[in-house]
Amino acid sequence: MAAGSTYTPIATTTLSGVTSYTFSSISGSYTDLILIGNLIQSSSAANSYIQVGNGSVDTGSNYSQTILYGNGSSTVSTRQSGQTAWYADYAAAPGTGSDYNTAIWQIQNYSNSNVYKSILMRVGKATNGTDAMVGLWRSVSAINTIKLFSSNNLTGTLTLYGIAAA
Amino acid sequence: MAIRKTSTSNILNTVHRDASAGSTKIADIPDTPTIGTATAGAESATITYTVANTGGIGTTFTALSNPGSITGTGSSPITVSGLTAATAYTFTVKSGNTTGDSPYSSASNSITALAGGAFESIATVTVGSGGTSTITFSSIPATYKHLQIRALARTDRAGNYSSNMNLQFNTDTANNYADHDINGNGSTAQAESGTTKNNIAMNRITGASSGSDIFGVVVADILDYTNTNKYKTVRWFGGFDNNSTQGEIYFGSGLWQSTSAVSTITLQSVSGAVNFTQYSSFALYGIKGA
Repeated sequence: MAAGSTYTPIATTTLSGVTSYTFSSISGSYTDLILIGNLIQSSSAANSYIQVGNGSVDTGSNYSQTILYGNGSSTVSTRQSGQTAWYADYAAAPGTGSDYNTAIWQIQNYSNSNVYKSILMRVGKATNGTDAMVGLWRSVSAINTIKLFSSNNLTGTLTLYGIAAA
Repeated sequence: MAIRKTSTSNILNTVHRDASAGSTKIADIPDTPTIGTATAGAESATITYTVANTGGIGTTFTALSNPGSITGTGSSPITVSGLTAATAYTFTVKSGNTTGDSPYSSASNSITALAGGAFESIATVTVGSGGTSTITFSSIPATYKHLQIRALARTDRAGNYSSNMNLQFNTDTANNYADHDINGNGSTAQAESGTTKNNIAMNRITGASSGSDIFGVVVADILDYTNTNKYKTVRWFGGFDNNSTQGEIYFGSGLWQSTSAVSTITLQSVSGAVNFTQYSSFALYGIKGA
């Protein structure tokens, strides 16, 4: 039977021209994490990235990702392994002016110390297209820190939610 | 101030022998905790308190709502669930041990319980060390508008990096299913479909040739699952990346050609010919409608 409401807001922040933002000391009391972003950047043509870790983010070459994206005329799949971060977007990187992208990043079983951690990402931006990504962080450490960063200044909102299973 | 119980029954239940002195003692009852702050949650509240540093050692802590006399237990902060939204509550806290309970504290600040969210946890299955071929959610409540399955799963499918995830409803094994998806494997993007099938094949998860720590992920929504005027539709998003040579990402939709309300969901891989491995976890959620 139902265990009660979940999809609980953990933290919300408004970014005003910063190159990074870190959620730290994330409670381990949920099952999955969902991060929702609505972002623009100070100048065009820069992707943003995500790193995770326990206590501090892992900057080692422990990330991989498989991406599917479409731009309205073609669909492409690409893959990278041994990366130092996940793409937080790909073709649908934040635009400038009012050209916001909308992103949902989901990290499942983020505190389970028996599994490597997986992320699902969906990002869309009307002027460029849509990205979908599945990524792996090659660590069994519980995640309590998530960092979003870019070489450009980011502006917009980020909200972190927790989903608890029964 | 410590309060010492003196009734015979309590002494018999709680005495312990001091071997060196040969005397019999009972533990002191804990002193009353100091109430902290109550914070409103979704049909719930959290209450902080400070343990008294006098009296006996408390082993249980209970928060009590007013009105309603709804309780929650645990260490600070205690969560009290089952409150009524838009209702004002205060809380008191007591401590207890095998000898007895302290009096309740003074009342907390007043909070007004918030409305509950639309997303609720229904059930979870985590696979044990022996593995299992079939995950079943049965007797699913009909009180929601939509359902969501969230899974992190791996199979023991030998000689394969990946393994499909099959979905059936109400134990229907006839050819009443169809599915379509768009997927990418890191080099090729393609669309696939199947009709007149005996299950919906959602995205692939990992198999035995992927590392034992590497699991695939699935998020699947089953829309309007109790509506008896429609065939049932599923949409999913998921995949896996094994940081080696394989990765696959999927968007898909599926159809169950039945107007029956969904009350049972069955998940298998390779139609049950392989096992989901240890630590695979499957969670079912309900999403309320207005």
